[in-house]
Amino acid sequence: MSRPKDSPLPKRTIAPLFWLLFGAGGMLSALFGPALILITGVMIPHGLGVPERFGSYATVSAFARNPIGKLVLLAVIALLFWHAAERLFLTMHDMRVAPAPLLRWLTYGVAALLTVAVVALLLAIGF
Amino acid sequence: MSERRPYIRPQPRAWWAHPPYRAYTIRELCGVALAVYAAILLAGLVCLARGPQAFESYRAFLASPLSLAIHLGLLATTLWHMVTWFRILPKTMPKLVWRGRLVPQALMTNVATLVAVVCSVGLLAMVVVVGARL
Repeated sequence: MSRPKDSPLPKRTIAPLFWLLFGAGGMLSALFGPALILITGVMIPHGLGVPERFGSYATVSAFARNPIGKLVLLAVIALLFWHAAERLFLTMHDMRVAPAPLLRWLTYGVAALLTVAVVALLLAIGF
Repeated sequence: MSERRPYIRPQPRAWWAHPPYRAYTIRELCGVALAVYAAILLAGLVCLARGPQAFESYRAFLASPLSLAIHLGLLATTLWHMVTWFRILPKTMPKLVWRGRLVPQALMTNVATLVAVVCSVGLLAMVVVVGARL
């Protein structure tokens, strides 16, 4: 159904969808981000506070094969990309780096591609 | 006849590098740094899909001093993201009224930041406890 030109209602856009992904990624990283970085980047690789085998191929691939583990990986990786895409788009738009449509492709477009890549990898790793 | 010539305040091109806008720029870029962490995790997923040998080289990278420096930098930016995220929170959500009084924005920020600290410390504690029992 097409919207009449003199409609008093605001034009509907998909911007709220991007805003939702941005908010979800921002909240997830604000709540658990510092702990996640410490766990995967400091504690597991250097064996601080956790057993050495937490970082082994067997453990990590068991985590990535588990459906809940897959969901966690997809949520963390994809939402952080979408969060960064929204912030980078708005900031570069304010800095007048390039026209808005081009910036949308460079930010939302890349986030969408990376999300597809994460889904494909998780499916390729198998169950 | 008179032509409409509105005054347009001049804006230097590098406005974002100077106060008071610098704080905004730093806050936004700290949010963008999260994508670097997501990319590191994604690289791990790629290596995992390629097999044990590729994953071992990924682990060797994670154990390197360079990776440690990157992760400590990411930790600092993420902590700043956490602090600023909950400063923005009360400004973006509807006004909160409790017992007929408006909840002050500073209180909402403090409570939300405390919740975030509890979440992160809780996750860390859970991983250490599970690790110790296995």
